[in-house]
Amino acid sequence: MPADLLPNAESVAQHVAAFERELAAAASPRDAQSIRDRYLGRKNSVTASWMQLIASAPPDQKKNIGRYANELKQAIEARWTQYGEHAAATARPAGAVDVTLPGRLPALGHRHPLTVVRDRLEEIFTRMGFTVVEGPEVEDEWHCFDALNMPAEHPARDMQDTLYLATPMPGLDGDPRERTLLRTHTSTMQIRYMQAHQPPIRIVAPGRVYRRDNLDLTHSPAFAQVEALVVGEGISLADLKGTLLAFAREMFSPNIRLRFRASFFPYTEPSAELDVSCWQCDGAGCAMCKKSGWIELGGCGMVHPAVFEAVGYDAERYTGFAWGIGIERIAILRYQVEDIRLFYENDLRFLEQFPY
Amino acid sequence: MRLVLSWLREFVDLDAPAEDIAEKLSIRGFEVASMEALDGGDAVIDFEITANRPDCLSVIGLAREIATTYSLPLRDREQTPSLASGRSDRLAIHLDDQELCPRYAGAVADVKIGPSPGWLTARLHAAGVRPISNIVDITNYVNLEIGQPMHAFDLAKLAGPEIRVRRAKRGESIVTLDDVERKLDPDMLVIADCDRAQAIAGVMGGAASEVSASSTVIVLESAYFKPSSVRRTSKRLGLKTEASARFERGADIGAQVRAIERAAALIAQIGAGRIAVPVVDCYPQPRGPVRIVLRRTRLGQLLGAQVPDGDVERILRALGLDVRANADGWETVAPTFRVDLLREADLIEEVGRHYGFDRLDATFPVATAPAPAPDPRIARDQVVRRVMTAAGASEAITFAFIEAKAAEPFASVLGGAMPVAVANPLSAKFDTLRPLLLPGLVDAVAHNRRHGRRDVRLFEIGTRFAPGGETRALGVAWTGNGAAEHWSGGARDVDFFDVKGVVERVCDALGVGVRCEPASQPFLVAGQTASIVVDDGPARGEAIGLIGQVSPAIADARGLPRHDRVFVVELNLDRLAAVRAPASDAARPIPRYPFVVRDVSIVVADSLPAEIIRGTIHGAARAVPSPLAAISFFDRYQGKGVPEGAVSLSIRLTFQSSERTLTDAEVQQSFETILGALVREHGAVQR
Repeated sequence: MPADLLPNAESVAQHVAAFERELAAAASPRDAQSIRDRYLGRKNSVTASWMQLIASAPPDQKKNIGRYANELKQAIEARWTQYGEHAAATARPAGAVDVTLPGRLPALGHRHPLTVVRDRLEEIFTRMGFTVVEGPEVEDEWHCFDALNMPAEHPARDMQDTLYLATPMPGLDGDPRERTLLRTHTSTMQIRYMQAHQPPIRIVAPGRVYRRDNLDLTHSPAFAQVEALVVGEGISLADLKGTLLAFAREMFSPNIRLRFRASFFPYTEPSAELDVSCWQCDGAGCAMCKKSGWIELGGCGMVHPAVFEAVGYDAERYTGFAWGIGIERIAILRYQVEDIRLFYENDLRFLEQFPY
Repeated sequence: MRLVLSWLREFVDLDAPAEDIAEKLSIRGFEVASMEALDGGDAVIDFEITANRPDCLSVIGLAREIATTYSLPLRDREQTPSLASGRSDRLAIHLDDQELCPRYAGAVADVKIGPSPGWLTARLHAAGVRPISNIVDITNYVNLEIGQPMHAFDLAKLAGPEIRVRRAKRGESIVTLDDVERKLDPDMLVIADCDRAQAIAGVMGGAASEVSASSTVIVLESAYFKPSSVRRTSKRLGLKTEASARFERGADIGAQVRAIERAAALIAQIGAGRIAVPVVDCYPQPRGPVRIVLRRTRLGQLLGAQVPDGDVERILRALGLDVRANADGWETVAPTFRVDLLREADLIEEVGRHYGFDRLDATFPVATAPAPAPDPRIARDQVVRRVMTAAGASEAITFAFIEAKAAEPFASVLGGAMPVAVANPLSAKFDTLRPLLLPGLVDAVAHNRRHGRRDVRLFEIGTRFAPGGETRALGVAWTGNGAAEHWSGGARDVDFFDVKGVVERVCDALGVGVRCEPASQPFLVAGQTASIVVDDGPARGEAIGLIGQVSPAIADARGLPRHDRVFVVELNLDRLAAVRAPASDAARPIPRYPFVVRDVSIVVADSLPAEIIRGTIHGAARAVPSPLAAISFFDRYQGKGVPEGAVSLSIRLTFQSSERTLTDAEVQQSFETILGALVREHGAVQR
């Protein structure tokens, strides 16, 4: 063998580089093993062939060949060990799973958005010391109107177009001569609660109410309200303002402002419409508040003395306030829903957008 | 009420722009529907007038509010001369019913009918009233200005110079100005001549005595009619007019003669004729003044703020009250046009409204007693809602009323009664109160299916109605997957046992054990229908709900794809809560001794309900030494190796004692005893 073909520093480096290249391209552990064997194996490997050269080499070369063969062997072994460690570190362990595959979702339904709003209202008012009460949806005229200072023939009865039942329903304690109806407001609960309890009173009464309306973008013949009633000695309009302010700041935004526009409800005196400053634009005017800076929330006022008299309370001793707010109204604003019908269509593509 | 600003300025010397007036008035109780600019710098503000303020259905009424708002004087109309009143030889008025008509003023006028001058027609146009002829226009003008409706009769068309205010006679009828014949009844008040009704009091005049181009002598009517009577009449006839709207809210009983005086001045001004004096004013029992005491302490207490005395007096006087201060506050007399001012609270509202609600403090009411417990239904419904969402169902809210056709197939649950009908539905879609929640839920499923949704799981907690009253129920509708599709497999369609499991969970969450009994309902598929029955406590045996698959006929009728299998549940939550037997809250100790399990497979007739087998096992277990802690049916097989009409059931029995470790021998003995009972009672064959 010519001297220049004998192992030298250069050929060691070439073999090491070739080994690295081949190893990097190895497709499998088995493949890698056969590459290693071609360099380090006891037979037919590079190192083995170099060792064989020693026997036939000139004496002055024997030592060098042995040294280079050793160098090559060590270098290949070092890289093989390194490769093995790396492979061990990166190999998929037995029983490995593809963690990127979709999980098995436990079935979990969503609360209706009107329930989400109602739950929130109940939570806020409960914290303010209110008791949540409920009452019947089918009512008698006395609880719905007369006791609320709307006697028969009162023009205010026109304000709420009422749905009556074709035949009276028993079990209500109003005047049996009066017709049975679907309650037009949750204010009926003021009467029912005061008939059964003495002041102090601090209640909220959520529930469904009915009006003789067609179903369209902004109207529904059935919707939900939450009524509030506070009765005691020395309850004032300032208390009404403070309570509503605390509620509105929790419900909508801590910076909210209130506006009371005088209005008329037969069962409150003074009466007002409640507006809150628009929380989207902070009163500057935007699409949500129709450029007015204010959003109408509902009606409120001081309980009319005639209402106290109807339930046998001393109207001189007790004062109180009440309000009614539409739950759909809050949901429409909060979720920016433009069509009230979405709440009753029960389309899962809509319902599934709301909290569990 | 369309307020023309130039008209307003005849009463208030105000140059504020329309926007400012609109904003200030809307805070004070007069919501603004719209505003529009008119030629010549004039403008109209359309105010919504609440039912308690008929006085503001007039220019003068709104002018008074505006004068109070801006602290400006309200100008009285000096140019209206007063007219003498007394007996007239040209007109006799008989008030037969003073209850329904406490005051009736009339005057004869010699007139020349023609068109009104331009300024008058322009003003009526601006106010939204169509001009007709000078006399009719003047009655409308006066009505708009001072809020007193008037009517003009052609005297020549009356049976004589005599007006009689009386109730309609039985069977009497009248053709009104709109050329409709109206049948009257004795509850209705009419204005008649000596022969017949010539007008429906406060609602509409009659065609027979209508003022026409040829009229030369007219009778002008200016009256006060009892509000409830006008309202009833207007409602019964289905006839709403400008006049009836004002009368039914309450006219000003002090304005009748003033209205005639104003009309007289206008008739003279436009040269349409002249009113003959004296005016005949029938007011046999003048109303006493409405005196209201306002206490300073009450005012402060109700508003939660001290309003300075000066402000109180300024506001009340500007609104037309007679105000006298005394040591505790004020003695006031309400003006006759303010029919809404009856008691102290009404005055407090007036003060608060004009003083400004925004100037009041915001305080939080002091609690003097702990809040009582809430309605127990609230917590109950929340538990049900939690269980249902955990079962993968989303909450639906459907309407409580449905169409009669949709309710019909479900009426079987009412035990022969008819579903509750709405007397005055706006649409046939909403004419019946739902007897169950299911019809609405089935429709909600159909809606989702139509929109390509395969898997639908919905529930609703809501009210349903029977002739005997309302109850709250849980409704569930489930179609599509019982177990969801996943890359690992395991998808399967919903079946009876998915919904039954949900029912068992809900009932368990509310502390009531239930079982299913085969049942039939016309709206559910035969053989896949069960009644949910209370299984423990004193109400044991009471049916409180049902489970089943919606029948194809219903599915078809409600627009569901034909092959859909929709499983439904309806559960009476009120009964469920009521039948709950009181149970101890104490936690049971965790067993200290090991349990022993024995599995057995038996072949029995496939018609034998599992419930019976369970009963047999329980019965036999009472007499065995090892306490039986649990029974579970873990496999059910029919097919190869099992004879036709039979089924192989695999049952796992778990024995456990709370006192000792069970021995193999006694468990074996217990197991064999139980097996023996199954063999004896059901001919079971062990596999």
